[in-house]
Amino acid sequence: MKTASAPVLKVPRIVSLALIMTFALSAHAQQATTDSTTQADADQQLQQRIKDLEIKVKELEDKPAPPAPAPPPAPEPQPTIDAPVVNEVAPRLHFNVFGDVGAQGYNHIPDTFLFGSLDLFMTARISDKVSTLAEVLFVADNTNAVSPDVERLLLTYRPNDYFVASVGRYHTWVGYYNTAFNYGEFLETTTDRPFMYAFDDQGGVLPMQEVGVNFTGKIPSGKLGLNYVVELGNGRAWGLNVEPTQNNQDANNSKSINGGLFIRPEKISGLQMGFSVRHDNLTIPGPAVAETIATVHAVYINNGYEILNEAMLVRHVEDFGPVFTTTGFYTQFSRAFHAYRPYFRYQYFNAPSNDPVYIYSSPNDYAPSYVNGFVGRVNGPSVGIRYDFTAHSALKFQYDRISERDLPTTNGLTAQIAFTF
Amino acid sequence: MKNNNSVTRAFAILAVAMGIWWMASVSPVEAAGDPIVVIVNNANPVDNLTLAELKKLFLGDRSRWDTGKAVAPVMLAPGAPERTAFLKIVCGMNDADLGKYFLQAAFTGKSATPPKEVGSAAAVKAFVAGSPGGIGFLKASDLPVGDTTVKAVKVDTAASDPTYKIKM
Repeated sequence: MKTASAPVLKVPRIVSLALIMTFALSAHAQQATTDSTTQADADQQLQQRIKDLEIKVKELEDKPAPPAPAPPPAPEPQPTIDAPVVNEVAPRLHFNVFGDVGAQGYNHIPDTFLFGSLDLFMTARISDKVSTLAEVLFVADNTNAVSPDVERLLLTYRPNDYFVASVGRYHTWVGYYNTAFNYGEFLETTTDRPFMYAFDDQGGVLPMQEVGVNFTGKIPSGKLGLNYVVELGNGRAWGLNVEPTQNNQDANNSKSINGGLFIRPEKISGLQMGFSVRHDNLTIPGPAVAETIATVHAVYINNGYEILNEAMLVRHVEDFGPVFTTTGFYTQFSRAFHAYRPYFRYQYFNAPSNDPVYIYSSPNDYAPSYVNGFVGRVNGPSVGIRYDFTAHSALKFQYDRISERDLPTTNGLTAQIAFTF
Repeated sequence: MKNNNSVTRAFAILAVAMGIWWMASVSPVEAAGDPIVVIVNNANPVDNLTLAELKKLFLGDRSRWDTGKAVAPVMLAPGAPERTAFLKIVCGMNDADLGKYFLQAAFTGKSATPPKEVGSAAAVKAFVAGSPGGIGFLKASDLPVGDTTVKAVKVDTAASDPTYKIKM
């Protein structure tokens, strides 16, 4: 069966092969014929196309040349100068925000993160000779409540450098520190103010704020650089839970008057020395008290050095009673090493425990928690370092050792980040 | 006895080291190079200033000219070499010091405003030329001879004097 079938199968294979070859050759021949036809058509089309283009070129050559397109307009020259404007000395408004946050650990109170303060500070030049200043402060008291406080509101008339008059609520020129640093912790080297300059609404003993008028200016003195300050205001109020600054109602007709002189000698750039004397009649619970405050200061800030020295003497005199004398001073030294500024401060303050005015002064809700009161002796050193990690922010670490009369010594560490923007 | 000597020696070394450090830190700035010319408005009668007066004018410590015109200082923006040299020699400051100085001046109610900043020497000249109280400074090469748009003033001496202090 197998033998018989094999030849039968061979024939169709050969036939199939022959047929395939025949078809293939036929297809190739057919394809070759078609290709040759297509190539001839394409050649004809290309020749026609060339002819068309030649005709078009000739037509274009025969036509007159069109006018050249206009060059693109030259770019307007960029202004290379700032044209002087009418208000050339200052823009209308300056607005700065000062803030500080941190943490504090003292050996008699719980370790605490601190809100610090938020200070909104505005100045504006209303005219060539008139300017304004406003400062609104937000601080937290010891009950953790944050409340706004208008620190300053001033209108200043400055016809020249020899007479500058201001009216409103201002920081008193009692010594140097109170007007140099105010509440902007960023501007201060240390994390806090010296004891003697603690704000009076925070238990401090000096009148730091006042409502009234003040006059400042230069006194023609050549290279001595003599300046004066005169302030006339409502004075301050005293008593438990009383706002020290008499904003709208003076308790008596007697006005406080403060006068000071200071020099900035041309020969020693950065040096300032001066004094102030202030007098006020206080109306407090009990007998009236005449208050006299005298301060002296010698300050040198230059070439990276900061040397601050101030002292004060306060006298309270009752009409028919004893005289109470309070003394205080601080000295502070620092030097900048690039962005780092290590510092040292020693301060001393001593108020009689039976002073008729200070017995109402402290502590209150705003008094610094590390000081139990500003009555009695408070003294001690502080050391720290300030690191300006940007042009507008600083990190400070400070160690305080505070001794108070009849109380155990307090040791404390404060970390603070102060900034402005 | 030996301990006392060691302590004394240590103190002596410390004192010498502190002295060297102090002297290095307060050594005056050496000025060398192209002079920096101070210019004022042509209407300003001032012809001479001292270095101390110049500092007061640029730091807002003097707010008016004798004519009563408000002082309007102008300078190039930070980074210009003449600005860096001027601040160092005249004001004893760098840019960061200058910023902090005016921040504190404003905060203390001094009402001083920082000098206006512009982008080119031509802008400095144009500002001073257009502001009666204007005052600025330029490299000497930016104020060609015969330029009468502004007036160059002496600062202690003329800019061409070898002892002139404000140089780059």
